[in-house]
Amino acid sequence: MSASLHIDRVEVAYGGVKVLKGVSLDVAPGEFVALLGSSGCGKTTLLRSISGFVPVSGGAIRVDGSDVTAVPPERRDMAMVFQSYALWPHMTAAQNIGYGLKLRRMARADIARRVDEILAMLKLDGLGERMVGQLSGGQRQRVALGRALAVNPRILLLDEPLSNLDARIREDVRHEIKALQKSLGITAIHVTHDREEAMVMADRIVILDAGTIAQQGPPEEIYNHPASPFVAAFLGAANAIRLVAKAEQGATHIEAGPFNGPARVRGAAALSGPVIAHFRSEAAELVEAAYVHDDDLVLRGTVRQVSYPGGFWRYAVAVGDRQFMVDDDRRREPGAAVGIRLPPDAIHLYPDRAS
Amino acid sequence: MSPSRLLSILLILPALVVLLALFVYPLGFSVVSAFTDRSGAATLENFHTAFTTYRSDLIFTPAIVGLSSLLIAVLAIAIGGYLTLGENRAAVRILGAVYRWPLFIPFIVAAQCMRTFLGRNGMMNNSLMALGVLDPAQAQSFLDWRGIVITFVWKQAPFVTLMVAGAMASLDRSTIDAARNLGASRLRTLLEIVVPQVRDTLYVGLILSFVVMMSVLSVPAMIASDSPTMITRDMAWRIEQLGDYHTANALGFVSYLMTGLVAWFYLRATMRERAGR
Repeated sequence: MSASLHIDRVEVAYGGVKVLKGVSLDVAPGEFVALLGSSGCGKTTLLRSISGFVPVSGGAIRVDGSDVTAVPPERRDMAMVFQSYALWPHMTAAQNIGYGLKLRRMARADIARRVDEILAMLKLDGLGERMVGQLSGGQRQRVALGRALAVNPRILLLDEPLSNLDARIREDVRHEIKALQKSLGITAIHVTHDREEAMVMADRIVILDAGTIAQQGPPEEIYNHPASPFVAAFLGAANAIRLVAKAEQGATHIEAGPFNGPARVRGAAALSGPVIAHFRSEAAELVEAAYVHDDDLVLRGTVRQVSYPGGFWRYAVAVGDRQFMVDDDRRREPGAAVGIRLPPDAIHLYPDRAS
Repeated sequence: MSPSRLLSILLILPALVVLLALFVYPLGFSVVSAFTDRSGAATLENFHTAFTTYRSDLIFTPAIVGLSSLLIAVLAIAIGGYLTLGENRAAVRILGAVYRWPLFIPFIVAAQCMRTFLGRNGMMNNSLMALGVLDPAQAQSFLDWRGIVITFVWKQAPFVTLMVAGAMASLDRSTIDAARNLGASRLRTLLEIVVPQVRDTLYVGLILSFVVMMSVLSVPAMIASDSPTMITRDMAWRIEQLGDYHTANALGFVSYLMTGLVAWFYLRATMRERAGR
């Protein structure tokens, strides 16, 4: 039932502006791929070009090997769940879910049976005869999902389907959608700007930046090994500091600077010259200002602000004219002189092209 | 009474006076006149005259206006639908610019245009003959009920289209995409997804059009003055030729009931829909 999808150097331009600059992506049958990126990166455009709503100006889109690039949306046999749900307000929940089946000329009794099946699967029993205006946000979201699943699509397209839900419902629905997708074995493409949502739901995450793929891979891989400063920052390693490095015996030595002591970073390819280091606030730790360790990078600074988001303290620490966010278990007062301790695996190092 | 209360009454007073003097009083006067004879005594004689003398026109008028409304609805949906779902951008732009033109033409001018266009030796027949499509011997004048319908549709369709196309444009676009995505053709999307969502606007447009068409005198007078014709033409005749305001008012009262009936159907439908939601 589920299909493979091949996106081959797809280009899309609005007016004269290129929104997608030759994106290539292969999706295996039954795979759940999340397209992740900030607004304007082209993720929704890519989804809409897959569904056929946006004409592509170059490249090809193939489903199970057959070219659908010029096929109109109604003949692509994909089902999309929209951000606004896009339910038809003049129909009941059951009519919404059954409409795709009616278009496929299924017999009325079969439609009713299938709709009941979908309603039961999505825990919407007894709500089939309600107008969609009488349903809650979470229920509408389920109806929208049910409408897409009812037709047994070859590919399921999800356009930020959870962004209009309350935070608590959203967490539940994430897992439900993923579980459904796995049990039905449908190929799914999910567009989101929510990193955690992508991490939780997808088998593979594709990070888009300015119309190109910045990095793709399984969630844990892109999280632990972001390939570029952009990906690192996008995946939460938003703290960045410029340092000077020297490659020695396959390791990168960080030279002592005005606010940091020397350190040795192993693992990644050895770097020389100006570098930029990214780290996550939760991967760092606050230590005494005098703390010294051979392998750890220690940045010396002053606590500026303290807040308690729950479970730990969050500090804004000034280092020179920069400010970093660090999470730590111990309570410290603003004004305290501290060191930010970064173990080697907490640091993502990249050549600093700007300097 | 507080000064601000007095001020607010003063502010609405001009509007109220205008309403009473120019609408309520003449309307009441007409109703009374329809039910009285020249001596002022109550009678149903005016209605008897109206129904016996103008029986066919009393059927003809709502039939003409109803048929026109139906054609206007079809055109408005077709034009609005193309403006909303059309994929040829140039065609959509041109249609969007052109369809409103008849809106700015008064009925009397529209009727005059149609006289030169639809007559036996009118532009339409001449063009068809020049193209060899029409045999000159078979050329006939459209200046009868067909002419009235054509003029009404030509004049009123842009008005309803304007309302309907506006409502279609403000729909959540993704409800249209969702239908296409599930496999609906553009025509099905229009009829099953778009039109039901703009139904209220379409009804309002048609009712306003219905009322306007019911009250037009120039079009039936200029295009089809022979019987059967429209009630407005008969009213004008009663007044101009016979000075018979009483029968004219009785005819007016009947046409008022017709438009009232249409409005009542609409109100009942919307009330039921609100209650259902």
